Amino acid sequence: MRGLPAVLLVARREIVTRVRERSFLVATLVTIGVLAAIILLPTALGLDQSKATIGASSAAGERVAAAAAPVAAALDLELTTERLDEAQARERVRDGDLDAALVGDAPEVLVRSDIDDDLGAVLRQGAAAVRTDEALARAGLDEAQRRAVVSPPPLRVTELDPGRNDQAQGFATIAVFLLFFQLIGYGYWIAAGIVEEKASRVVELLLSTIRPRELLAGKVLGIGLVALGQLLVIGLVGVLLAVATDSVDVPGDAVSALIVVLAFFLLGYAFYSAMFAMAGALVPRQEEIQNVATPIQIVLFATYFVSFQAVSDPEGGLAQVLSFVPPTAAIVLPVRVIAGDVPAWEIAAGSIVLAAGAAAILLAAARIYANAVLQTGRRVRLAEAWRPR
Amino acid sequence: MLELDGLTRRYGDVVALDGLTFSVPPGQVFGFVGPNGAGKTTAMRIVLGVLEPDAGSVRWEGRPVDARVRARFGYMPEERGLYPKMRVREQLAYFARLHGAEVDAAGRAADRWMEQVGVADRAEDRVEELSLGNQQRVQLATALVHDPIALVLDEPFSGLDPVGVDVMSQVLVDRARRASVPVLFSSHQLELVERLCDAVAIIKDGSLVACGTVAELRARGADGLWRVEVQGAVDGWAAAVPGADVREGDGAAMLVRTDDEQQLLDAARAAGRVVRFEPVAPTLAELFREAIRA
Repeated sequence: MRGLPAVLLVARREIVTRVRERSFLVATLVTIGVLAAIILLPTALGLDQSKATIGASSAAGERVAAAAAPVAAALDLELTTERLDEAQARERVRDGDLDAALVGDAPEVLVRSDIDDDLGAVLRQGAAAVRTDEALARAGLDEAQRRAVVSPPPLRVTELDPGRNDQAQGFATIAVFLLFFQLIGYGYWIAAGIVEEKASRVVELLLSTIRPRELLAGKVLGIGLVALGQLLVIGLVGVLLAVATDSVDVPGDAVSALIVVLAFFLLGYAFYSAMFAMAGALVPRQEEIQNVATPIQIVLFATYFVSFQAVSDPEGGLAQVLSFVPPTAAIVLPVRVIAGDVPAWEIAAGSIVLAAGAAAILLAAARIYANAVLQTGRRVRLAEAWRPR
Repeated sequence: MLELDGLTRRYGDVVALDGLTFSVPPGQVFGFVGPNGAGKTTAMRIVLGVLEPDAGSVRWEGRPVDARVRARFGYMPEERGLYPKMRVREQLAYFARLHGAEVDAAGRAADRWMEQVGVADRAEDRVEELSLGNQQRVQLATALVHDPIALVLDEPFSGLDPVGVDVMSQVLVDRARRASVPVLFSSHQLELVERLCDAVAIIKDGSLVACGTVAELRARGADGLWRVEVQGAVDGWAAAVPGADVREGDGAAMLVRTDDEQQLLDAARAAGRVVRFEPVAPTLAELFREAIRA
């Protein structure tokens, strides 16, 4: 068999074989679990503190609570107020049922041990607003005038750097994890798959039916589709969870972050799968893969760590430079696209450099693979594989 | 007809094949023998397109072999190999498809050949779970699963137990006789080659040193070789006969080469009581040693 049908046949075998392995299912579920934990845990543990319940035992307390409500809303704090008598209030604060209680006619705040910073600020502002309102009333202003002073129209806000926000950085951080683990995991599968065929000697039988390039292309394509499919499933589950639990402000941002991750995974995978293919072609046994894969893994680890720097400073000089170097661009560039405000030309140029690098490495890998893959008994040196005697 | 024509291949300074030429007609079981490193594996790899020759060509029915024709050849490499974790039926069907079969046909061929080599009950087992003998059977089925128009097998008998040897022999002869397929195989088991093969090629250092049907080669080699047994003879009597060359034994029983057997017979009768005096057709093993020594 020759050409595309041969490539597709090999790819099909790779996909069927990989997907059927129990370890694949387990890994997918574990990744989804970890991602779900990242998304759901802050809400589940109440770490985001977006809710507070307070009690009020007096009319004055209720007025403070009412005045605090708009302030709380501005801070994304959902404030609930319950009316109850002072004894109840003390008991329920001590039990932890209430975050705070306002008691007395000159209201005093009761808390169990320590007051949450946001809640404290909200209540202070509420109390200040009530006192201001009372002072203005004594000075003879009518209600409309007082409201104009106490609740002025909101300040106008101009965003000087609108691209950057915490949520985008969160997406970028998740993108680093996903891209890194897909590249290093599936890259290793490429090397291991090649060595499996060498070590079992089945490769000679395969090469009596198809060309080395077709075998390599099918393997890279098949494993790549498995990796892409897994990434898509994980990403979609993540986006759905985030939207369902209201963890993201703008669902569209999560979707576009996922698209960026998928697109750059393809480029990065093309590059790194070729690197791992070269490594695998050189060694005869599974035990020796680590020796040849280590340099590639070190590059990936370095890229991984430097990518976190790009998350926190996407417009920095280092991140900018590394977006134009294929091995690092595979993760740094998509991270900057998600977290920062990168000019279109930089995205285009960085992508082209990465694609060109991937194409060059793929061609080199095809040559080295074809020359070395039948050397099933011994380790082949790179120079020898490039130019056989 | 499968023809190897002037195949030459070098590895650096080492000449693995040097103008190797012979042909295997359809329906013939053809033995390919030679010492280790003579170039048998290299030649077979070139026939299957796994290696490219530096010079020369492989022809099928008079035309250079292309990918389409080659896909219909069957091959068993010297280094046996299957996917260890793949299931038997799946593996056979996969190779049938690599050879160009459609999905359904590949499945049917896998079933048929599992039946033929006797592993039908292991269809859903992984290859690594099979005994070595059964793995060999699957390997053979892999070479045959697409009903090849020519069979090339590199040391198919190595590592087989006596039953395995019989199964393999039957299949090879069956393919040649019933399917009229040229069957080329290499082996170091010369008795087996002699028993099974219609013709043999002996190669040394990448070149052909002898080629022909087994009968032809034996008749040619028989020229002037005599087995002589003389009772009561003293050691060394034959060495004294002019033109006689003692190949094996001495005194009572020996193998002697001479152009003048009458003179040898006279000397034998003079030496003692002649109980045997007959021309010898050498075994393939003897021919092989002769050819390699030259």
